[in-house]
Parts: sequence; structure tokens; C-alpha cells
Amino acid sequence: MATAALARPAFKPSPYLVGAGALFVVAFVYAMYLKLTLGHAGFNTTNYGVFWGLPIVAYDYFLLTSTGLTLLASLPLTLGLRQFDPIAKRCIWLALAALVGGVAILFMELAHPFRALWAAPLNFQTASPLFWKILCVGAYTIVLVLLALTFARGTAPAAVPKPLALLATVLALAITLIAGSVYSMMIFRPFWYGGELPVAFLIESFMGGIVFFVFFTYLIHGFSVDSVPQSTRELLAGSVGTFVAAAIFLHILFAVVRTVAGLWSYGEGLQVWRYTVDQPLYWAALIGGGIVPLVIFALPALRAQPWLQILGAVLVALGLLASRYEFVINGQLLPPFKGSWAPSPLSYEPSQLEWMLLIVGVLLANTVYAALESWSSTKES
Amino acid sequence: MTKWGMVIDLDKCTGCQACTTACAMENSRLPGESWQDVLFYHEGTYPNVKLSWLPRPCMQCENPSCVAVCPTKATWKTEDGVVLVDWDKCIGCKYCMIACPYGVRFYMDEKPVVQPDLREVFPGDGNRIWNPPYKMPDHLEDRKRGIGVQPPGVVSKCTFCYHKISKAPKGVADLDEDNPETREYTPACVRVCPPKARYFGDLDNPDSKVNQLIADKRGVRLKEETGNKPQVYYLSGGGAPVVPGERSQRTS
Repeated sequence: MATAALARPAFKPSPYLVGAGALFVVAFVYAMYLKLTLGHAGFNTTNYGVFWGLPIVAYDYFLLTSTGLTLLASLPLTLGLRQFDPIAKRCIWLALAALVGGVAILFMELAHPFRALWAAPLNFQTASPLFWKILCVGAYTIVLVLLALTFARGTAPAAVPKPLALLATVLALAITLIAGSVYSMMIFRPFWYGGELPVAFLIESFMGGIVFFVFFTYLIHGFSVDSVPQSTRELLAGSVGTFVAAAIFLHILFAVVRTVAGLWSYGEGLQVWRYTVDQPLYWAALIGGGIVPLVIFALPALRAQPWLQILGAVLVALGLLASRYEFVINGQLLPPFKGSWAPSPLSYEPSQLEWMLLIVGVLLANTVYAALESWSSTKES
Repeated sequence: MTKWGMVIDLDKCTGCQACTTACAMENSRLPGESWQDVLFYHEGTYPNVKLSWLPRPCMQCENPSCVAVCPTKATWKTEDGVVLVDWDKCIGCKYCMIACPYGVRFYMDEKPVVQPDLREVFPGDGNRIWNPPYKMPDHLEDRKRGIGVQPPGVVSKCTFCYHKISKAPKGVADLDEDNPETREYTPACVRVCPPKARYFGDLDNPDSKVNQLIADKRGVRLKEETGNKPQVYYLSGGGAPVVPGERSQRTS
């Protein structure tokens, strides 16, 4: 299909961009103030065992949301399913925004982020999942930018170069599976260990990508249901809604199976499952972020209601964040090798600086998305 | 080729922590940065309480998971079998700390574990996280090998006192504090051990004392199931587990 003959996109700042951008600047300045005055001591991570805190949770959350959105975009771009054409451009916009938000959080958490840019690619530690993750995220960023430029020129989804779309899909898949492997290869951390984890990450990534797409589709239309094109509404209530329901079901299945296995087993380190199910967060994520939205998206009559779609999307997004937090943090609560001063799970709660990094990431992602929308709107796509 | 290893006789160890102190002094470690630690365990309730302890340096694994996961090859293994950290390559991602089954890696930019914060009492100059008054001579420090006081934002770990053992005479089987020829090359924790519970030598040399002890007293390694293959062996009278296992059976 020929490229649509559109003029070069004009940048028109929207109130959404101005609001998100202003809030981002305020949050960023405050976060940097905390970081520069407290240093890494501003984090509540310790040498006792919780080495990765909320910023790593947030980074993974944003990164997997980004790859999920790219996988969703691959339906029309790579697989050629033309009925999904209207969602492609917004998915790419959101994927880029989530990626920027996530990487920004990581950069603010790492002690030497810029050193990673040369030290990882030049040292070829091919045995490390993080080496491949850094490499793939770098390539993924470039491919997403190229895709964004392609869309900004007014290219229709069907006319996007197939190799570029295929590369984006492959990289999104690779990053998601590698992100799971970062945890699943730790044999002495049984809470994480297991070959099923990368698959669970893939499902959760796809689930997160879809619900973010649903939410931002309504957000970009000012939550005015009537201004959302009929074709998009039908898609959300139809195929997209079905995908969400299927992904939530599989997510719940994985969560329940892992919980049952963890509670049943006596392996050293698996005792953390008893602690996990005692936490309200676990049940909030499972019921509020899983079962309730599953009912909403599984029943056609309910998922046809736009406000219920929005509610379900928000619940899933929050539930996924809670699940990711629980997964990353609880996997560290029982140090694999400590003395009697650590007989029970360690305690961890995010510090003010760590919360600020999450907020900065959210606001930056919104700012980037709003900027992309101002640059080249997806409303009519 | 030399492959340095350590043997710790648990039947001799009294848990006095002289090794911990000597290590901190020799290598200028901060409080809480116990490259060499003694872990204490207690099981049961009064009056039926069992107290046990385990000296724990870095295991300097043959197949170290920390080396495998480091995305920048900042953690590396020398030809003579010691795992070191190149502080100029470390990005502070802490994946090696996640991947170490023995908990022997440290990131000292965190909150201080005791007050006053010695990093504020003896502030560093940018190249060092702190500037202790009793640190090793500058010429012995080596950022490429993680020896000395680390810069901010990197991971540190036990080096088997690499600044000493790397200068040992070639081909020597054991580094023993009782031997005047090898005393200066013996790791600090081995040298100060009052009951002489520690031995240090070449695991690739069949005539070394460490190999004899491992064979004669059936030395065991910790967490064999991980496949890391530690180069630190424990003598425990032939008993298998030297570390109390079931966390769930322990009282809080």
C-alpha cells in the first residue's frame, strides 16, 4: 500500500502534554534533589539481602509493558492481521513512551549507567542474561524510533516495512523472555527458579500491553466515549477484550500454580510463600488485579461497557505492578545464606526516593506519549 | 597452574572472629562489609539450644555464578583461581549479589549499619568511598582487581588477599604462617587464626596440605547443588551438612 500523502507533522502541544510535562519536571527535580543529597543511601535496599528494590520493579514493569505493546502492534505489522490496523500506531507510541520511562528509572537507580553503555557491549559476557538484555534493549530502542519515524511520516500500518516490523517483534519477544531468565536461572532462589517464568513474563507483558492500550485509547479521547471511533470501540469490545481475558486467565493460572507448588514444597527458601500469602498485597493483586478484571473482560456484555473496560484496564495495570513488586521483592526476602539474625523474612518497604523514581517514570512516560501525540496524533488511526 | 584454595576445620574453629577483624584491617573494610564473616546459628529453645557457627569467606568458586551473570565482565576469575572485581567496569547493577549463593558480596553505598557513618567521619576523595586512617599503602591498591578501598557505586568482595598471594613464590604448595618463607604471602584471615583452623594452598598440587586435609578428613563444599564448585572446603568430622538447614524449624 502506498504511503499516505500527508504533510510533515506539525507539533501542537496539548494540555495533556503541558500538564504531564510540568508535573514531570517538578517530580524529576525533587527526585534528583533526594538522589544527590542522599546518594544510594536514599534507597531502602541493603546488604542484608534485598538488593533490588522498587526501581527495578518499576523498570521491569515499564519494559515489559513496552514489549507487550510492541507484540500487540505486531498483529497488524508483522502478522498482517488488517483488522488491527487502527491500533498499530498508538501501540508504537505507547511502547516508546513506556520504554523511555522504564530506562529512565533504571538510569536513576544504577550507580554507573553510562558506563554500562560501553562496558556491556564491548566485553561480550555472553553467559549473562543482562548482557543480552542490554544489547536487545539498545537495538529495540533504535527499531522503535525507526518505526515511530515511519508512522510520523503518515505511513499506513500495511505499508510499514516488514523487516522493521519483524525485527521489532523478535526483539520484543527476546527482551521479555530474557527478562524472565534474569530471575528464572537462579537455582538457589527457588521463589524465582523455574523454566516457566519466561513464559509467564511473556503472558504478563502481553496483558500489560493490551490494558495500557485500552486505557490510553480512552485517555487520548479525553475519556469521552463518543469521540472514540466506532470501529475502535468494536475492536476493544471484541478481539482485544478477548485477548485481555485470555491473558488474565493464563496469568491467574500461573500465579495459582506457583503458589500451590510453593506452599506445598519444603525446599529451603520456599517458606517465603507462606509469608507471601499472608500479605494483603498478594490477594489484592490476585483478586482485584486478576479475578475481577477477568470477569469484566470475559463477559461480552460487561466488556462492551467502555467504563468497565477502563476500570478493568486500570485494575489489571495496578495488579500487574503489585505482582511484579511481590515477585521481585519477595524473591529476596529469604537470603540464601545468612546467620541466625535472619531466621524470618527480611523486611523491605520503598523509601521516598524509590517512590519518587516510580512517579518520575510514570510522568516521563506520559510526557513522551503526549509529545508523540502532539507531534502526530493517533486519534484517526 | 596454581589454583588457590582454602580449608577451614570446623572442629577447630572457636568462632572468635579474629579472621573477620584481620580481614577488615588488612583490606580496610567498612562496618557491615564483612568480606570474611562468621555466621552464627541457633536452634531450639531454652534449655535445649544448640549454637553453631560457620566462618564464611568468598568461596572463590571454580564455576562462579557471579562471573557468569556480570554483564560487563567486571567480575572475573584469575588464572590462579581467584574471583576479582574490576571496579572500572562495575556498573553497580548488583546482579552478582543476587547470583551469589553465599551472600559474600557487598555494595557499600547503602545506609550505614552503625553510627557514626564512617564514610562521613573519614570522607573519600571520589576515588575512594571513604578514606580510613589505617588503609593499606597506595601502591598495593588495584582497582582492576578490587583491592583496597573501592570507589562509590561498585560491588566489593573478598580477594583471598590477592595483593599478598599473587606475590608468593612460584610453585609453592601451601601458604602457611608458620613457614617464614611464605608468612608474608598468607591471607590475613589464615595468618591470624588462633586455633589454626584455616589452611591455604594450591588445590592443583597433590602434595599440598590443603589437598591432604580434604582427602584425609573428607572435606566438603557448601551448596554443591548450585554447581558453583567452591574452592573453600570445610572439615566437619565427615558429617555432611555443616550449615543448619530448615529455616522453618528455627525459632525466631
